[in-house]
Amino acid sequence: MAVTNVVIVKGSGVRSRPGHTDEGIVARMIGRGLSLMMGTGSPEEAIRALFVSTDRVGIKINGIAGRELTTPPEVAFPLARLLVQGGLEARRIMIWDRTNREVKSAGYRLNLDGTEFQVLGTDAAVAGYGRDPVIHRNVGSRFSAIQTDRIDASISFAVLKDHGLAGVTGGMKNYFGAIHNPNKYHDTKCDPGLAEVFEAPPIKTKHRLTILDALTVQYHRGPSSHPKWAERAERLVFGLDPVAVDAVGWMLIEGLRKKHGLPSLEEDGRPPLYLHSAETLGLGTARSEKIRIIEEEV
Amino acid sequence: MNRRTFFRNSAGAGLVLGRDPGRALTELYAFGQNPNLARVEARYYKRLPDREIECELCPRRCRLGDKERGYCGVRENDGGIYRSLIYGKICSLNIDPIEKKPFFHVLPGARTLSLAAAGCNVNCKFCQNWEISQVRPEQVDHFDLPPRAAAEEASGRNCPMIAFTYTEPIVDLEYVLDTAQEAKRRGIRSVIVTGGYINPSPLEDLTKIAAAVKIDLKAFSQEFYKEFVRGELAPVLEAIRIVAQSKIWMEIVYLVIPSLNDDPVEIRKMAAWIAKEIGTDVPVHFTRFQPMYLIKNLPPTPVSTLENMRRIALQEGLHYVYLGNVPGHEGENTTCPKCRRMIICRVGYQIQANDLKEGRCPSCLTPIPGIWA
Repeated sequence: MAVTNVVIVKGSGVRSRPGHTDEGIVARMIGRGLSLMMGTGSPEEAIRALFVSTDRVGIKINGIAGRELTTPPEVAFPLARLLVQGGLEARRIMIWDRTNREVKSAGYRLNLDGTEFQVLGTDAAVAGYGRDPVIHRNVGSRFSAIQTDRIDASISFAVLKDHGLAGVTGGMKNYFGAIHNPNKYHDTKCDPGLAEVFEAPPIKTKHRLTILDALTVQYHRGPSSHPKWAERAERLVFGLDPVAVDAVGWMLIEGLRKKHGLPSLEEDGRPPLYLHSAETLGLGTARSEKIRIIEEEV
Repeated sequence: MNRRTFFRNSAGAGLVLGRDPGRALTELYAFGQNPNLARVEARYYKRLPDREIECELCPRRCRLGDKERGYCGVRENDGGIYRSLIYGKICSLNIDPIEKKPFFHVLPGARTLSLAAAGCNVNCKFCQNWEISQVRPEQVDHFDLPPRAAAEEASGRNCPMIAFTYTEPIVDLEYVLDTAQEAKRRGIRSVIVTGGYINPSPLEDLTKIAAAVKIDLKAFSQEFYKEFVRGELAPVLEAIRIVAQSKIWMEIVYLVIPSLNDDPVEIRKMAAWIAKEIGTDVPVHFTRFQPMYLIKNLPPTPVSTLENMRRIALQEGLHYVYLGNVPGHEGENTTCPKCRRMIICRVGYQIQANDLKEGRCPSCLTPIPGIWA
């Protein structure tokens, strides 16, 4: 039976206090996570196994919840720098989300001049959404031109959160930020819309890697920020299988909910149904018996 | 503050150059993507613990956490306060003949100031205006037109009506109600073009101020609503009942899509339901589909199909059954249900002849229902 690896790296002290992230520890966590995931001796080798040097790589962050609960610069930039160490050009790396406003509210400074790492939202003048909707199964959406035209490979780097409808929001749902009408897929618990958006060619053909930012996990009442139900878990989760990574994210959330005496997502009436749909579509595996979790601490 | 100053002040990022009645509206209003969305507190929602809210505007009843938007994409939870992002943010503004809405029993040939903001609470795969209805407000060009300015614009341009149209006005109900109120003070009527996917309470508020409502009945089957509309049939039928029971005028439009909602049996059931539940005097328009948005693989509706729909509806007793998007067809004309005399002759949106006499057939004096003066 084929088994997929998901790597969890813990970085003690990476978020020693709210709002502070130790970039040095993050860099070590990412380096170790990539090496373990790819089975290489160094993170640079892992990157060379994942990308070619001419790839234009998008790092899709999630900035919707502002500075409190987002993929912050202290987390995304160490990854971007590691990609450069692995042989990619800085100017070909794009850190992005839906809007410039959200990117800025997450703590980033926009960089649109094509030098160094580019940082922008889809509403930047150089981007926008495709003119015609992409039609795929039940999906009809205009995709961000960043995703369709300006990158060759995509990394989903989202914050792991509980979600009032989908149950879990992680690496797959992060791509709702790549379409112009995510609200149109929130009914029926984001299922099967979430899996079908991921399966649409602009995402599926470019997605290479999922990293979940579980440094602070919103385990209840997400995706909004509620500090009383957020825990500094100080972990990053890595995987090539987007479904397996989200399934592990679900397990982490359930663990925290149990620890704090909350009902499971199943008991709360919102298990992440999209994982089953994603598995049915062949996007990956959600079954725990087919997922090998490799855990390490740096 | 004179009118020109008021317009300048209220235009925000948009540029109003003046109000020369001889100039096209598109010349006078400079559309631009204005990232400063409206932040007007919405009506029709309830606050829940932990900064959550539940929208009570439409049957979806979106329950949203902080910073989340409803299915419509134009109303957002802002720290536990639900806000409209589109109040006064107009993305389309034209002067249309009332026939374009279509209303065939409302002031024939009248000019309507027709306007829209972004957004819709359903997602019809055949939407004809998807580029402004199926987007978020920050994704479409718009300019500021507060309620008072809209009413003054209609008045200054000799439009006896304002039409809230093109997108789904229900998701902008706060603006619609306020603008209709301003318009009423100036003797201007408001007409609403909607899918009717709205809860009873806000709809009842709408019927207190609007003069007429056109409801798009997309099909007469729940399966179609689920698959192609992303909504439900029952609330729309309930909305039709509520409007019928109010004092305002109503017309119904049915866009006929080949192979999807053109089953004659279903059409007969629908016509019978309208005749029984609403009455035989409500005008029903069968309009021609053009391939659009997510349905591009079907042909335009054959005229013979539309003619068959019309025949069925007349057989079921409906008095005023029209065809739409078929310019020059006899099905565009209004005929007396008693003596069969043609009373209003139309070609497309143009009135060729109007022989109505004080709301009656000129030959047999049968009253023809509608808003005629």
